[in-house]
Amino acid sequence: MKEAFVMVGFLEITLVIFMQWQVYLKKIVDTFSLSSYAISIFLFVDGAILNNINLLILSALTAVVRGFFIPFFIRKKFRKEYYLEREIKSVVPTAMSIVLSLFFVVVGYIVYHATLYNSIGLPGGSIPIALLFQGIFLIMSRNNAFVQLIGYMVMENSLFLFGGYLFPELPLVIEGGILLDLIGIVMISGIIMRLREENVSNIIDEFKEFKG
Amino acid sequence: MLYLLNGLQLVYVVFLSPLIIGIFIKLTERFESKKGPSIFQPYYDLYKLFHKQSVVPKTASAIFQIVPYVTFSMYLILTLVLPIITAFPLSFGPIVDFIGGGLIFGAIGVLKKIASLDSRSNYSHLGTSRASSIGALSEPIIILIFITFGVISHTNNPYVVNNIMQTSSQWYFSLVHWFVVFAFFMALLIETGKLPIESHSNNEFGMIDQAIEMEYSGSELAFMKWGGYIKQFLLMSIFLNDFLIPFWVPMKVGLGSVLIYGFIHMLKMLILVVVFAAIQSTVSKYKLFKNFEYVAVAFTFAFLAILVYFTTGGSI
Repeated sequence: MKEAFVMVGFLEITLVIFMQWQVYLKKIVDTFSLSSYAISIFLFVDGAILNNINLLILSALTAVVRGFFIPFFIRKKFRKEYYLEREIKSVVPTAMSIVLSLFFVVVGYIVYHATLYNSIGLPGGSIPIALLFQGIFLIMSRNNAFVQLIGYMVMENSLFLFGGYLFPELPLVIEGGILLDLIGIVMISGIIMRLREENVSNIIDEFKEFKG
Repeated sequence: MLYLLNGLQLVYVVFLSPLIIGIFIKLTERFESKKGPSIFQPYYDLYKLFHKQSVVPKTASAIFQIVPYVTFSMYLILTLVLPIITAFPLSFGPIVDFIGGGLIFGAIGVLKKIASLDSRSNYSHLGTSRASSIGALSEPIIILIFITFGVISHTNNPYVVNNIMQTSSQWYFSLVHWFVVFAFFMALLIETGKLPIESHSNNEFGMIDQAIEMEYSGSELAFMKWGGYIKQFLLMSIFLNDFLIPFWVPMKVGLGSVLIYGFIHMLKMLILVVVFAAIQSTVSKYKLFKNFEYVAVAFTFAFLAILVYFTTGGSI
């Protein structure tokens, strides 16, 4: 499973870089959905090998909640022409942000080897830390609230990958609880963003960049 | 025997490179539901150009006229030092490695840019400026790829890399290798001037490499174009033989095996041409400033290959 962990991990890193490249929200949401399915498949295979029912349930929950429901809900919250919805102005130029995202992967590698590597000893352990940094950077580099929300969920994905692989015995109630919390956060954020879009943007044009 | 194979490889590349371009153009047109020109059209174009009179700008120096011949000769040297239809070094093989080959490609690029600046044409200058900007960012990708292959094979010799890829399934299926393949494919689209980077039309807004040879005519233009065809053929062959499908290339000296592989190599090239034509017909051209994002992603893949190597020690 070590090989599968590294492969899924680098797939996740690549997908985040792809998100960093994209401007249209639909593509970013679809990419997030794909990355969640990849984690779900990994957890399923890990659960099947370890014969761990908790991991199997977690895999199903990840697929349903992160792979399907959250992307579906975010798409519903876009205006009618959801495929036109896009980031109007990035904080960091896109080409620079791709290179910076890569830089954070390297930072994750260095941080892991300077701290946790000696106690865990897992060669690919730097991947979730790199994903965590990439998620933070995705939030920082974009103005659009939905992309920032996805950046937050990328950070959570990294924790799921790390936790699911290293601590399969973690009580299901904790991981399942996080997923359910997430539904609440996404739904409330969606409502707030919709309200903001309908009211604030009409008054002040400069707020356009903040609307969801 | 080696001398015979040298000649064979030279003839193979020089005379088949226009055919590959002809097939590519034909396929692209067919994908767009057009009839398209004959696959031999590049040969007709070269024949026509060789029979036309050359017109040289009044202000241009001798460099402008010499460069097409010099660059064409340098492409011929490259043909003899890269694994095209043999996986064993030919007579000139030992004179350069990957970095050396890259330097010759770089030198050709520099000479072409100097010549285009010498033409004093605004459009040529525009092309030089664009090609330099993109090249400054795409060259590090190629260097990173060579470094990664150096790490894998402990050498920078393209023949050794091919032999290792042919014989080691561990390296061929490794994540490091596939990241490199993806990065090189993206770089290949840049170097061969394909979409989404460059569109070859009469519109100067999208021109990059095409604008460099704008002031050339007659046999000089024919040599520039033919050199361009050879460049594409060589880069595609390197991609196929050292990266994507390194199999079946003869590792031992023998005329029969080389001749048979010549046909196989054309089939491999045709597959790649179909992929190129499909991309050409489905992807739209990026705005010039968006090209840098594409280059950044290609750089990321090349860098991730090295990171995967350090993370896994090359075991995955």
